[in-house]
Amino acid sequence: MKRRNFLQASSAVSIPFLLNGFSLSAMPKPAFFNSINNSSDRVLVLIQLNGGNDGLNTLIPMDQYDKLANVRSNIILPENSLLSLDDKLALHPNMSGIRSVFDDAKATFIQSVAYPNQNRSHFRSTDIWTSGSAADVFETTGWLGRHFGSLHPTFPTDFPNEDYPDPFAITIDNIVSETCQGVGSNFSMAFTDPFALSPIDESGQSETPDSPYGVELAFVRQAIAQSNAYSGTILEAANNGTNIANYPTENQLASHLRTVAQLISGGLGTKVYVVNIGGFDTHAGQVVAGNPQQGVHANLLQTLSDAVEAFMRDLQQLGLDQRVIAMTFSEFGRRIRSNDSVGTDHGTAAPLMVFGSCVNPGIIGENPEISEDVSVQEGVAMQYDFRSIYGSILMDWFEVPEDQVRSLLYDGFQYIPILQPCKTTSTIDLSGFGESIESHNFPNPFENWTNIAFESKGERMRVSVFDDLGSEIQLLSDQFFPAGEHRLRFEAHHLPAGHYYYRIQSAQRQKTKLMVKIR
Amino acid sequence: MNRRATLATLLGRSSTHTKATEQPSAPRTLLSDLSPFSGSWGYTEAAHLLRRATFGVSNEQIKQAVTDGLDAVVEQLLADLPMPEPPVNYFFNDDPNVPIGTTWVDKPFSRAVNFIPYRFNSLYAWTMGLLLEEGISVREKMTLFWHNHFVTENINDPRYTYNYISLLRENALGNFRKLTKEVTINPSMLRYLNGNQNTRRAPNENYARELLELFTIGKGELAGPGDYTTFTETDVIEIAKVLTGWVDVGYLSADPNQQPGAFYLINRHDLEQKQLSHRFGNTTILNAGNREYINLIDIIFQQEEVARFICRKLYRWFVYYDIPEEVELNVIEPLAQILRDNNYEIKPVLRALFKSDHFYQPGCLGCMIKNPLDFMVNILKQMKVDFPSALFQKYNAYSALFGYSQNLQMLYYFPPNVAGWKAYYQEPLYYQTWISSSTLSSRVRYTDIISTRGAVIGNYRLRLDVLTFINELDNPYDIDELLRETTRLLLPQGVTDEQNEYLREILIPGLPNFEWKVEYTYYRENPLDVDAKNSIEAKLRRLIQAILTLAEFHLG
Repeated sequence: MKRRNFLQASSAVSIPFLLNGFSLSAMPKPAFFNSINNSSDRVLVLIQLNGGNDGLNTLIPMDQYDKLANVRSNIILPENSLLSLDDKLALHPNMSGIRSVFDDAKATFIQSVAYPNQNRSHFRSTDIWTSGSAADVFETTGWLGRHFGSLHPTFPTDFPNEDYPDPFAITIDNIVSETCQGVGSNFSMAFTDPFALSPIDESGQSETPDSPYGVELAFVRQAIAQSNAYSGTILEAANNGTNIANYPTENQLASHLRTVAQLISGGLGTKVYVVNIGGFDTHAGQVVAGNPQQGVHANLLQTLSDAVEAFMRDLQQLGLDQRVIAMTFSEFGRRIRSNDSVGTDHGTAAPLMVFGSCVNPGIIGENPEISEDVSVQEGVAMQYDFRSIYGSILMDWFEVPEDQVRSLLYDGFQYIPILQPCKTTSTIDLSGFGESIESHNFPNPFENWTNIAFESKGERMRVSVFDDLGSEIQLLSDQFFPAGEHRLRFEAHHLPAGHYYYRIQSAQRQKTKLMVKIR
Repeated sequence: MNRRATLATLLGRSSTHTKATEQPSAPRTLLSDLSPFSGSWGYTEAAHLLRRATFGVSNEQIKQAVTDGLDAVVEQLLADLPMPEPPVNYFFNDDPNVPIGTTWVDKPFSRAVNFIPYRFNSLYAWTMGLLLEEGISVREKMTLFWHNHFVTENINDPRYTYNYISLLRENALGNFRKLTKEVTINPSMLRYLNGNQNTRRAPNENYARELLELFTIGKGELAGPGDYTTFTETDVIEIAKVLTGWVDVGYLSADPNQQPGAFYLINRHDLEQKQLSHRFGNTTILNAGNREYINLIDIIFQQEEVARFICRKLYRWFVYYDIPEEVELNVIEPLAQILRDNNYEIKPVLRALFKSDHFYQPGCLGCMIKNPLDFMVNILKQMKVDFPSALFQKYNAYSALFGYSQNLQMLYYFPPNVAGWKAYYQEPLYYQTWISSSTLSSRVRYTDIISTRGAVIGNYRLRLDVLTFINELDNPYDIDELLRETTRLLLPQGVTDEQNEYLREILIPGLPNFEWKVEYTYYRENPLDVDAKNSIEAKLRRLIQAILTLAEFHLG
């Protein structure tokens, strides 16, 4: 399959968003644009899990269970309590809701998502995830903010308008989401109760001076104006909207998702909603000592799972399921080894979940590899770069061309078929994606060097080595390899003994594998 | 505990306007430096200093400050004060050790009856009272600064929380290094960042990491794997070992002799030598038992970056969030030098900042979006709102205000996470994170209700006394003077001519200025004419409500 936008290919017309650098909104618009461009109906819901979710206690690699039981014996869930998805993977016992969504072919789990050079600060790592930047790049705009900014560079001036009467994004919270931060302004509104937005008198305005005072004053004025301007359409949508399914009570995430469903069903044209659930920073008391099925993490997963299930059911009953996808994210996974406070410390990669009728259901990626002599600080090694997830969603859901995805996110972008065309029969060949890459390293364990051998199908391949903290310490090669077996040597005499991972990425395939340096 | 609003008996406004405004450009650079303020010391400057350094002052207090002069006002702000009387039980009948009107802070819990809710209610109300009752002092602002800096939250023992906030208040204007040492073994902190679970066999890095990243030296650029320029992952691991062995005692204790405290257990302490990275000069830390943490903090404070880090935070607390290169060079660096030269005493830094040219930059008078507590409390102090004197009514009113602050997203004792409130660290929005559709609605609902019919709290009505306020102005008979004096108090840069006209129209729609004098004079000369009083009061309420609804009122 070619790496391109297959959803766009399946629609009646395809219109590039940028023509010679001019945004389309500034050009004469064909009358049929709004009715045909079905991307305008699509909604992305982000579910932010604040604190760093323990992926190994969420989506459990069953083929590694015995080793996990060894290195996290005080928190490991009993094997017979787990909800198996297939013979190699299982969910936390409190996630029966999400399991039923998975059974309905409306969920895809992407394994071991992170970024190279993991930063273990909550704040910095959250900034990286919300901005979609590399670990060493300081980016103040959010990944969705940049996307919206490329379409509407003049925002917020002259918004809302006839073509765009609704807010581009809504955070169901009191603070706007950093994912939607644009250059000059955040594309998101923030509120928790759509019925509580009351218009604010804007009389008595004057010029704003050219000073920090003027900047802040203009900001407040703009916030008031935007809030007033959008509050009408939001209230209208909330009044027209409805929910059919029952949502769990005493579950704030569920009630926020219910509001989202209500606003969508009420006809609000908002493209992105952000909801969040906090408490995943489970350094201590992640489970109840002696009873690992209970505790903070179990409750959080129950809340998440119940809320997602109700939301997906509601969308289906409202007939909206083909217009909405939801995706979780969290700033990092947690350590492989648990600590003595029946908790886990900040780690590296973790699974990411996408829900909806238009997902390509199943599991993407291989199970993480657990070793019994894992060091205290080791996290789950990364398989997929989070920006490849973002980019694939931008391409398939919002019809952003691939070259633009590369400039919005990063050049190493790897297309991942997370979504599928749900309204038409797919004619696109997905075979080949996600296949493993035949590879091994020898000697292993090794002392001063090791060879990494791998099979190419005649493709560009990027081969690099990560340490146990998630840092990409060496790029071995990034070039076209003709079909056949190849071999690269990893010199490690200057490196401390411990765990290393080689990672190979091609357009469609990928592999992350543990290597052990002794001495 | 009920964290919900109790003031929320409130209705919205009905007028709608939709007017797009210009996109804001990047903040302008603030020029000038730390050299002593050389401009003229007048009402605007005094109001600015007191607005930033306190939770609000009255018109009279500002005028007094103008008379006293900058030096005297700064010394008054920095003066040491006795600790406030502790919070008392104001309604709970079932605590045998704590009769109503006496304090619970040193009294045991009970296994039979739950004392937690009433004690927290008391603590919260008392805290709101401290903000409302403070005089010309920077102590409450600094106590909240340290709370936002050395965050603990969600410790479900009110005695622990009182003990923690008292530590911050006692050291609010003291020594940063000493405070860091005490916070490190404070019982609330030991629980909050799992220091009490940090043992030789199972080190817990939580506190070690935040001690470096958030409390002292900050996190620099990623310079290599696990190396953040100012510290490395190795330092986190080694420092966690240094801090092993401490546990808190007295949590929810029913033992009358057991107060909240910290305890060192040698068998939980790592006795090995700890090796810091090259970021700390490859220093080794030898076992020093229960004094080892002191040695550690002394080592951290030898790094020059510590002073810069805290001075940036102070700058964002008192001046503005944007710190361009010039400010880093001309303000932060000299402040950091003052801090180091004075052995980490905080007062000399604040003294230099409050007396500097930079602090009074005209472009930054009012460039701070008020945090919710400032927003709520300032106006009550500016307009000298009277609170009930009876214990229950007073605490109850304070408690209602405390509850409402949650709607504005700043609840004292509940920072959202260990980094504090986003307004003080989250790029690029900073203070702007206080403002959203939700919080704007809650802010305007608050000013609407206190300026018009008032919030009913039990048998007390929290309401601005606009008549008394206006009557006490220098010249309330002259409408221009009335507007000038009112707006310069309530708004950081006053109003423009157009805005003045807009406000004048509210007071005397379509009438010449002298009509105000006529009406107002009649009211003053006929105090028994209730109709005249009511009509003047209604006009003034509309005026104050309009001023408080201006975007400018969100700035301080």
